[in-house]
Amino acid sequence: MAAKKMNLREKYTRMTRDLAWDFSYQRDEDVYKQMTMEGIKIEDWDKWEDPFRLTMDAYWKYQGEKERKLYAIIDAFAQNNGHLNVTDARYVNALKLFLTGVSPLEYMAHRGFAMVGRQFPGVGAQVACQMQAVDELRHVQTQVHTISQYNKYFNGFQEFRHQHDRVWYLSVPKSFFDDAVSAGPFEFLTAISFSFEYVLTNLLFMPFMSGAAYNGDMATVTFGFSAQSDEARHMTLGLEVIKFILEQHPDNLPIVQKWIDKWFWRGYRLLTLVAMMMDYMLPKRVMSWREAWEMYFEQNGGALFEDLARYGIRKPKYWEQSVVEKDVISHAAWGTFYNYAHAAPFHTWTPNDEEMEWLSAKYPDTFDKYFRPRYEHWAEQEKKGERFYNPSLPMLCTTCQIPMVFPELDDLALTCYRSSEYEGDTYHFCSDGCKDIFDNEPEKYVQSWLPVHQIYQGNCGGATVEDVVKWYHMEDGVDNREYLHSPDRRNWDKWTKKATEEEVPPKTAVG
Amino acid sequence: MSYEVTIEPLGETIEVEEEQTILDAALRAGIWLPHACCHGLCATCKVQVTDGEVELGDASPFALMDFERDEGKCLACCATPMSDLVIEADIDEDPDAEVHPVEDYRGTVVSIESVTPTVKRVILELDRDIAFQAGQYINLQLPKIDKSRAFSLANPPHDARRIELQIRHVPGGEATTYIHQTLAEGDVVDVAGPYGRFFVRTSDPGATLFLAGGTGLSSPKSMILDLLEKGDGRNITLIYGARNRSELYDRAFFEALAAEHANLRYVPALSEPDADDAWEGEIGFVHDVAKRLFDNDFRGHKAYLCGPPVMIDACITALIQGRLFERDIHMEKFLSAADAAQDSQRSPLFKSI
Repeated sequence: MAAKKMNLREKYTRMTRDLAWDFSYQRDEDVYKQMTMEGIKIEDWDKWEDPFRLTMDAYWKYQGEKERKLYAIIDAFAQNNGHLNVTDARYVNALKLFLTGVSPLEYMAHRGFAMVGRQFPGVGAQVACQMQAVDELRHVQTQVHTISQYNKYFNGFQEFRHQHDRVWYLSVPKSFFDDAVSAGPFEFLTAISFSFEYVLTNLLFMPFMSGAAYNGDMATVTFGFSAQSDEARHMTLGLEVIKFILEQHPDNLPIVQKWIDKWFWRGYRLLTLVAMMMDYMLPKRVMSWREAWEMYFEQNGGALFEDLARYGIRKPKYWEQSVVEKDVISHAAWGTFYNYAHAAPFHTWTPNDEEMEWLSAKYPDTFDKYFRPRYEHWAEQEKKGERFYNPSLPMLCTTCQIPMVFPELDDLALTCYRSSEYEGDTYHFCSDGCKDIFDNEPEKYVQSWLPVHQIYQGNCGGATVEDVVKWYHMEDGVDNREYLHSPDRRNWDKWTKKATEEEVPPKTAVG
Repeated sequence: MSYEVTIEPLGETIEVEEEQTILDAALRAGIWLPHACCHGLCATCKVQVTDGEVELGDASPFALMDFERDEGKCLACCATPMSDLVIEADIDEDPDAEVHPVEDYRGTVVSIESVTPTVKRVILELDRDIAFQAGQYINLQLPKIDKSRAFSLANPPHDARRIELQIRHVPGGEATTYIHQTLAEGDVVDVAGPYGRFFVRTSDPGATLFLAGGTGLSSPKSMILDLLEKGDGRNITLIYGARNRSELYDRAFFEALAAEHANLRYVPALSEPDADDAWEGEIGFVHDVAKRLFDNDFRGHKAYLCGPPVMIDACITALIQGRLFERDIHMEKFLSAADAAQDSQRSPLFKSI
């Protein structure tokens, strides 16, 4: 009689868990040195439930086919001049934001999972981290390859790697991930696998991918699908991690709660960039940031935190503030980028009349009252040939590194400022959430590389905007500034044979 | 037109309508299959078709690979059957689950007895023996009432001919009103079963804790009688909650049973005893009584919950806070049509509770 066919669980066990071994001539605590540093107590690694059962041999087979399909589509995209099918060239700036802001984070995620996978004694956790490390490396590659198609035709893509470590707004995503990888292994997983991949990822990936689909960018949609098939594994890992830590020992609860509070707030602040992309950078909009936050955080997140309440976990601190701010952050951020368009490697613009109407319908309580007048004023200035560029440098929050643009909750016209003293110096924050994070670990955040401080200290190429822009490897008047006057726009009009509506003045000088 | 789909390794067979996805049918039949995005992108719900034909639906080429299509894999969230099927899903076989085929029976009402002002005990004599596992339920088809209704079996499996149902009158409920007001001794009704995956995990050495409320007593009664008849010596605790003394039933039966079996502890609890109940037993909701009795530490147990949704919900929280987790919590939710409509959005944090 033939042997009984192994079911999926048995196959997984034989091909994965059974491949581990115990150390006989080294002590576990010498091999896994970071296991106790965070105060997390694990009593039994065998209680780790594998969130998915994929053997390594099957993994290679899957990923190989995904790659073949993706690159076939990218080739077809290139041959058919797919870049001409996007709604208009303003859309491409959303891709510049993605490539400069998000793709390098995929690479950091690769490094992070490789590092923490090494630290866990449980083989289930090791394998999950190893696969995710390889996934993330694949994601950054596919993103760079896909978006590089656009680099042949549009400005601003070419120096994304150099810029990620230098440009002022890119320090926001960079410092987020640096914070996570420099934490201990359990905090890293809580930060990235749970708070980011599970609680917030829909708000990062969904807007970019549906934005791409709505705006005719099939190349980006394809790498999105290719990545999403890995994403489901990452999300279930995030849930398993939290359950596992909480079930292992009651002492873990307050530590995990503190991490959830911290990483919810860190992630939420990072999503400010996505909010701005959704409301301002997509010529054809998918949904407003406000609607996305309601659906993906308030509803879906609400259900998750109701289930987590059984473990004694409460909703992340300051979540109520995110609900008030949903009416404001996208506008505040776009206004900031409009101010500093000469120092960012993508273009900004004022919304046209139809877009203003959309914004005012989606944000009935705030847009007309606080933001429309600014855009109308800026648009007028621009028409007079006096496009506004802010010649000063903004004050940054020490924790999230975003300029101080967030409001007080009881008066949305008032900017929120907080500060803390530490060893004789004063540190500034955009919110109570960011101040709490600093106050819990000041010795960590006093080391922050804050771009504005660095410019003033003379570490960024010089004292003038021109010097700094050069140090950023940006070509002034080409990669940056107003969309209306950009070569991107001139080229687009030429390729799509659109008559230029008005005489486009040459590039405007720095104000 | 519908097809029969057998889900391995459970060995359960479900009906799937034409155009209905396998995942949808399975979840509606109470069988959990892994799933996440529900529209063909994430591949969490991938299953192997071992027999029969499926239409793959809108499975993304990145979620269901070409080589997998060749191997007969499909995504349950978008695959629809084109014939009867056997599929193998990535779910755990439970060593304690018995598989009994669902069959149709004719049942004659032997007795109907009011055990409380709102609950009747109905004894049916079947036309032949029914094989089932303690904890399972049957569907009762009543004359002139559109859909069948589910009721747990309160008799142990060795009483295979005479089945006991405990039925609460749901105000305004068509079927339970019929049972309480019209059904009479000698009537004949249609019975189909057994159904459900609620049973005692005897292979686990842990002590057994039953938390029951209202007519949620029926399954635990069958399960406890079955354990005791088989000579299982583990500690068994039954905490049974009722509003007041008039709603508390089968008390004498369980007290006698506990007196006979040293390993059975029976704890009746009233949530709102009347002044003239002269109640000296436990007062409070089932989960609060359990917390007190176990000093908020449920480790080392297997818990079985049976009763209305609010009671189940409160018990799950109490157990988890007392460090008993999903893998050791088993339950049968009693949903009326109104409860089911209210079932709120859930996160994927828990699979089976």
